[in-house]
Amino acid sequence: MSITGKFDVVVVGAGPAGSAAAYILAKAGFKVLVVERGRGAGSKELFGGKVYAQPLRDIWPDLDKSAPIHRWVTKERFSLVVGERVLTVEYSSPRPVGFTTYLPELAKWMADKAVEAGALLIDEVRVDEIVVKDGRVIGVRSGGDLVEADVVVDAEGVNRLLLEKLGLVERLDPKHIALGVKEVLRTGKGVIEEKLGLGKDEGMAWMVAGDITAGIPGGGFIYTMKDMISIGLVLHVGKAVEAAEKGLLREHVSLLLEKFRLHPYFKRIWGEADIMEYGGHLTIEGGLGLVPKKLAINGLVVVGDAAGLLLNTGYTVRGVDFAATSGRLAAEAIIEAFNNGGPSEENLRVYEDKLKSSFVWRELVRHRGIERVMSDPLFFTKLPRLLIGVMKRLYEADYEEPTILDAFIESTSEEDISLARLLFKLGSVVGKL
Amino acid sequence: MRIVVGIKWVPNTQAVRFDPKTGTLIRQGVPAIVNPHDFPAVELALRLRDAYGGEVIAVSMAPPPAIQGLEHVIGMGVDRAVLLTDRVFAGADTLATSYVLYHGIRRIEKEIGKVDVAVFGQETIDSSTAHIGAQVASWLGWPYVYYVKNAKLDGDRLVVTRQLEDAVEEIAVELPAVISVAMRALKPRPVTLKNKMRAKVEKPIIVWSNKDLGLDPRCVGLKGSPTIVAKVTYLPEVPRKKLVYKPKDPKDAARWILKNLFLDEKTGPLLRKVLWGDSGA
Repeated sequence: MSITGKFDVVVVGAGPAGSAAAYILAKAGFKVLVVERGRGAGSKELFGGKVYAQPLRDIWPDLDKSAPIHRWVTKERFSLVVGERVLTVEYSSPRPVGFTTYLPELAKWMADKAVEAGALLIDEVRVDEIVVKDGRVIGVRSGGDLVEADVVVDAEGVNRLLLEKLGLVERLDPKHIALGVKEVLRTGKGVIEEKLGLGKDEGMAWMVAGDITAGIPGGGFIYTMKDMISIGLVLHVGKAVEAAEKGLLREHVSLLLEKFRLHPYFKRIWGEADIMEYGGHLTIEGGLGLVPKKLAINGLVVVGDAAGLLLNTGYTVRGVDFAATSGRLAAEAIIEAFNNGGPSEENLRVYEDKLKSSFVWRELVRHRGIERVMSDPLFFTKLPRLLIGVMKRLYEADYEEPTILDAFIESTSEEDISLARLLFKLGSVVGKL
Repeated sequence: MRIVVGIKWVPNTQAVRFDPKTGTLIRQGVPAIVNPHDFPAVELALRLRDAYGGEVIAVSMAPPPAIQGLEHVIGMGVDRAVLLTDRVFAGADTLATSYVLYHGIRRIEKEIGKVDVAVFGQETIDSSTAHIGAQVASWLGWPYVYYVKNAKLDGDRLVVTRQLEDAVEEIAVELPAVISVAMRALKPRPVTLKNKMRAKVEKPIIVWSNKDLGLDPRCVGLKGSPTIVAKVTYLPEVPRKKLVYKPKDPKDAARWILKNLFLDEKTGPLLRKVLWGDSGA
């Protein structure tokens, strides 16, 4: 390989989407350059903790054997929190479909696969511009260096500065993004397995909703790693800014996370465990709001978070498998384009067709509008209060407990919820969950 | 001119923790980095080359993973690098390290050509001795100037600006010479795409082991290190109480601090000792 020649493909960003594309293209004999801003692939990655395995196995069949898998998720929990009162639902299954991991570890594994297949990975270098000449993308520019390529794969992540410069997307709108903050607590294996009732290598994914987010749409998460527990909050940025401007939110987000960690119901699990890491990252709020109008133009395809591909239903989050799948589909489209005369816009738009007939798109369309549900105060504030109110009436009676119906009616009137409106709203969203 | 610049591959001391039981560093899982104080030295070497032509050769005595650090400085524009690596070099103090570096530079002169300047950083973040530049100069018998903030060529002499505490000094030094660049004296240039690609693809890194240098094993590594670490002391990590208190009245805050910090049986004695040298009676 020479450094002066042109590349077949330059991939911007060595995350799951970029590395999946680079791996498939390099394996097919393409001359591929991956440029990553962080120190080593994965160093800038952050996510909650769970990855869906099957879409990754489609790309890397040896996933189960060689990927950095911490625990297979056999238990899913969902909790509603109002003050110290907590309602928890647990689902336990012998057939795990997802595993927990740290994204920096997984992303490094994916990038190593691409390098093994023959891709050239250059880290610690920022791409400043995707270069367009005569109506087609011809490569990337970093500082004074131009590297030419037939196709550029934009896998730059959620903060799409390059696509903005190209005019393909608008400036990031706070209403489409969320802020994730996370702590990693060192608990040891024993605590995880004993206190959460997990076997060796078994893991838990736990989503939490209610007043832990101080009235801001969003929620909390808890994931079990090998010998640590990751906890965190995801907050709707647009609404958080609104709340701060109105003076309703006065605390730094790290304090909200601290409160979550110190919440007596949850703290019982990890106690005084040391905080090993604190991190934050922007993420996509959900839905199709961040998908660019075009995912392929002459000489360019857009994949992963940059393409707005993430789903957050409130009870589960999918991003890594969507990203990797979009990278795979983009690579397949690029290979076909080369076989059909070259990477013209027409040929590259095959990627869009492939994506739109994939499970990724079907999932996003199926749950379309979910972000509106999740940012509706009725659902993230009033509904938890209502349900906790019902439980309180049923289980905290000293002498007589009401019927479930009475508890429900009392609770709705206390929370000032119109039952008809609630049922109507529930009816309108139930098809999107 | 031919400029050699010394690079140390160090644990990122910000990420290092102490084992409270043994009092030793826990290095496991701590990422290694190029000693940050070496970057101004690299920058000065590159500026001299850019101004007067020639080449910059980075030299490091380290285990093989240090190649990553050498790739980084090649990414900044260093022309090539020499890694001096051998199991017998392990456990070296500054004397044994400077001895290996000295022979590395001598071998560069033999294999590649005459060296005009050897540049080092002021000190390292993991031991902060600031010995290496001076020791290498002693071995070589070259003049040594330290706390350098800039340098320019004047005929066959190097005019060096030194940053002193309350003054700036300019002195001329005969070449060849060794200089150490003051911390933060120069802003290092970023890694560029083409340079980093060159590092990865052309791999301009020469690796020499003790087979190549042929040094007496009693003069290198742990055996060649007369330094004895008699004792390591450190401030024990105080477990954080993780309390947040936000009173409206400052008096309440003062009372709270008194109760929770100064009268606390764990933190109280420590705080009184630090603030007033009180033994805690």
